[in-house]
Amino acid sequence: MPSTTETSTAVRDQGGAATAAPPGPPPSRARRPSRWWAWGFLAPVTIYLAAFYAYPLYRNVELSLREYTVRSFVQGGAPFAGLDNYRTVLTDPAFVPTLTHTVVFTAASLAFQFTIGMALALFFHQHFPLSRTLRALILVPWLLPLIVSASTWSWLLNSDSGLVNAALGVVGIDPVNWLTSPGWSLTSVIIANVWIGIPFNLVVLYSGLQAIPTEMYEASALDGATGWQRFWGITFPLLRPVSLITLLLGLVYTLKVFDLIWIMTKGGPTSSSATLATWSYRLGFGNLLPEFGPGAAIGNLLIVLALIAGLVYIRIERRQQLR
Amino acid sequence: MTTSTPRAWWKTGVGLVLTGLMLFPVYWMINVSFTRDQDMRASPPHLFPTNGTLDGYRAVLDQQLPYLGTSFLVGLGTVVLTVALAAPAGYALAKLRPPGGPALSFLLLIAQMIPGIIMAMGFYAIYLTLGVLNTLPGLILADTTLAVPFAVLIFTAFMSGIPDELLQAAVVDGAGRLRTFWSVVLPVSRNSIVTVSLFAFLWSWSDFIFASTLSGGGDHQPITLGIYHYIGNNNQQWNAIMATAVVASIPAAVLLILAQRYVSMGVTAGAVKD
Amino acid sequence: MTGLSRRRLAAVAVIALAAVTGSACSSSADGPTDGGAYLVWDPYPQFADDSEWVALLKKCGTSAGVSVERTGYDTTDLTNKALLAAQQGNSPDVLIVDNPVISTLAEAGALTTTDDNKLDVSAMEKNLLGAGQSGGKTYGVPIGANTLALYYNKDLLTAAGVDPAAVTDWTSLTAALTKVKAKGKKGITFSAIGTEEGSFQFLPWFWGSGAQLTSLDSPQAVSALTLWTDWLKQGHAPNSVINNTQTTSWQEFATGDYAFAENGTWQLANAEKLGFSYGTIPIPASAGGPAPAPTGGEFVSIPVQKNTGRYETSQKLVACLTNADNLLTTDTTLSYVAPVAAVQERQATADPKLKVWVEAVRAAKGRTGDDLGTKYPKISEALWTAVQSALSGGKSPQQALTAAQTAATTR
Repeated sequence: MPSTTETSTAVRDQGGAATAAPPGPPPSRARRPSRWWAWGFLAPVTIYLAAFYAYPLYRNVELSLREYTVRSFVQGGAPFAGLDNYRTVLTDPAFVPTLTHTVVFTAASLAFQFTIGMALALFFHQHFPLSRTLRALILVPWLLPLIVSASTWSWLLNSDSGLVNAALGVVGIDPVNWLTSPGWSLTSVIIANVWIGIPFNLVVLYSGLQAIPTEMYEASALDGATGWQRFWGITFPLLRPVSLITLLLGLVYTLKVFDLIWIMTKGGPTSSSATLATWSYRLGFGNLLPEFGPGAAIGNLLIVLALIAGLVYIRIERRQQLR
Repeated sequence: MTTSTPRAWWKTGVGLVLTGLMLFPVYWMINVSFTRDQDMRASPPHLFPTNGTLDGYRAVLDQQLPYLGTSFLVGLGTVVLTVALAAPAGYALAKLRPPGGPALSFLLLIAQMIPGIIMAMGFYAIYLTLGVLNTLPGLILADTTLAVPFAVLIFTAFMSGIPDELLQAAVVDGAGRLRTFWSVVLPVSRNSIVTVSLFAFLWSWSDFIFASTLSGGGDHQPITLGIYHYIGNNNQQWNAIMATAVVASIPAAVLLILAQRYVSMGVTAGAVKD
Repeated sequence: MTGLSRRRLAAVAVIALAAVTGSACSSSADGPTDGGAYLVWDPYPQFADDSEWVALLKKCGTSAGVSVERTGYDTTDLTNKALLAAQQGNSPDVLIVDNPVISTLAEAGALTTTDDNKLDVSAMEKNLLGAGQSGGKTYGVPIGANTLALYYNKDLLTAAGVDPAAVTDWTSLTAALTKVKAKGKKGITFSAIGTEEGSFQFLPWFWGSGAQLTSLDSPQAVSALTLWTDWLKQGHAPNSVINNTQTTSWQEFATGDYAFAENGTWQLANAEKLGFSYGTIPIPASAGGPAPAPTGGEFVSIPVQKNTGRYETSQKLVACLTNADNLLTTDTTLSYVAPVAAVQERQATADPKLKVWVEAVRAAKGRTGDDLGTKYPKISEALWTAVQSALSGGKSPQQALTAAQTAATTR
């Protein structure tokens, strides 16, 4: 169909966030042989990274490689322990279940946050009275300090006086021990986390949608495409770079969620909703006698997980660019 | 697009329902903020604060207003610093493609993975040595770490969509790199700047971990710490806590609605340019 | 990523690390404490600058001839802050912390002993002071104490035909719960959350069964956990206790639906606001009589300083904070029982309702006492985990406690 080819070139010319693919790298590279000067623009952020992220990271690595007790934490002189802390963590019987919880928590949160966020973004992208105001209001959950939103959720999900169980009771369903039974606690924290993550997905995806020129839709409307076809044929492919970034950032943020779970269930009952992040926190800070070494080791394992995700992302992005 | 009015209002109806669902927990927070202590765990729970109390709000109005001011200053400072650091970096990574650029993006990604508490402890040690604990700039600087990596990635993603022809035209007109960045790239990126600013503001507004670690004892405490007045060693005043959260979200919600209008305007302005 | 950029990545990381380690080594050692002001850290963020507590601090500073700079931290935050500050050589001059934290900070070498700082602790009640002692040394002074007892709803018990005075052992308590349930009301609420709070609430029953913290899987210990588990199974206690903090549990009691609630001295002020009349009884031991409850409350300590000359003034400050009159003021505001017998008498005379609590505090036991010290945190974590797994139905009380004993004794 000739019209579709035309529209796809139109996107290139129009630009917009959706077209992340670089326009023909070879000619521009030939024109500007050295690009080291571009670091002038990157210098502030590089210095900033080195100054404020490197130290905590270094400290966390150092903590994980030594055998710290509270005494040596304060007085110094903790013996070098190599990978002992990592070994301790990896061989702990809690490791496999906790890793599984982390994977389930992250995958389920991402899937629901993204799908619901996308659906809402598409819905609010149609202009109707009050659409802007309502879209802004949906972001309100974000303004709340996490201690408040997490507490509100544990309130709603309380076994005996929670509204959710009261509502279930009205339709004749037995109360569920959302936060206090090992079978449900992970689901409960996922529900709350999805709720908290929707605004983020909505905003980023919505901004991506804004950048898709309306002419594209008009052209496909002339072709007689249905809404569903338009979504899969135009919106989704053009949103891909933004979607990838959203998912990647979502992954990074979800992997390190600990406060929400900590406030709602403390990772319990009996570690049934514990993730690597809450485990790390419990070891390092959630106890009267901190175990800094293993706590830091788990923190570093999390960083490695995110690193793998980052590599996968770069791979996908590259493949997209080559296409 | 031409939409017939009845169909548009039908959508508004759906939009209201969706918003209502999303905001239900927020409603519950408001409900609790008016609830007396003895009704907090009533079973079945009260859907409306019957026998409501204003105790929570009385406590908040007496004690919390200065904290709101601090939160605003910190939020604005975070926005300015974040955009100033991230926009040039995003431009460079998206359009100038310097050698080592991917490595830097990758480092930014790792940077976001460091657990907040570890970051906070690192800052605490640095600040203690520099003597900038409990200062506004100190807290602003720390809060930007929540947003900068994200902002760079977002700017990169969005700015790579700026047509190269536009930038080359500027170069042909005799504009230098800085000039191109300032008078072509930035205006075209208004939409992403607002998005980033919004995120930066919201993250600093709801930040607790940096605030409690770095400003816990000072005169400049943000609203998230104000809440801690109602969390004692052994008991918590929940209606006051929720009332603080409600009072804290009102100005921020207004700001959000205003910003949203601006986002849409920015988009139209960008479209006209092409 | 190409091999080239990977190498660059490594280079960037190395440079960044070098920059940081360099700056970390050159960090100056002197902190803000060299100035004139004396720093005091406390876990009472609820007290603003215009509160009586802060006024007292200022007053003590004035009489010691120095200015006092006070910072109130959230209690869960304070342990880490204190450890970090000690690591950086920047500890406050006076540190007030929750009593089980003292043994951790002492283990870290962050606190001075009474030998160094010349504090006089002779007036303090021995059972309270125990939490601040380890290896024969004393690391702090209690500023006030609290403990647990059973609050009951008078109206509800009367309606159910239960005489609270007759509730003296576990059998009579469970019988009372059954009567209450027959009336369609709920029995008892407590906090069994997976933190120190959960262990704190379980300990009176644990000790009341005759069990010892050194042997978590003894038959007595199993009987205590079985008591709680059965209450949940029979519907005497709500399932929400597994996630209840002590505040949540109090809110449940405040609805008027519950006959009993296990809670602490600090709720006395809130108790006056209840919509029904209430009373308190000691937590009964298995075989009768009051069970030993754990002591709660904070200790005042003097952290180690580089400049040892500061101890003299710090000692004056602490002595001022813990003298009889000031203890009375502080403990009245905190709704705590004083750690000194003479002041306890004055409290009980001023408010007869406090009499029960004074007795409870006298019978109470320190958690880190029995020379457990820094072994306690490990034991406590194992204990609350066992409570959680038994109550949520994951394991039987026996299995849960056997696992706890293994966890507490290994590593």
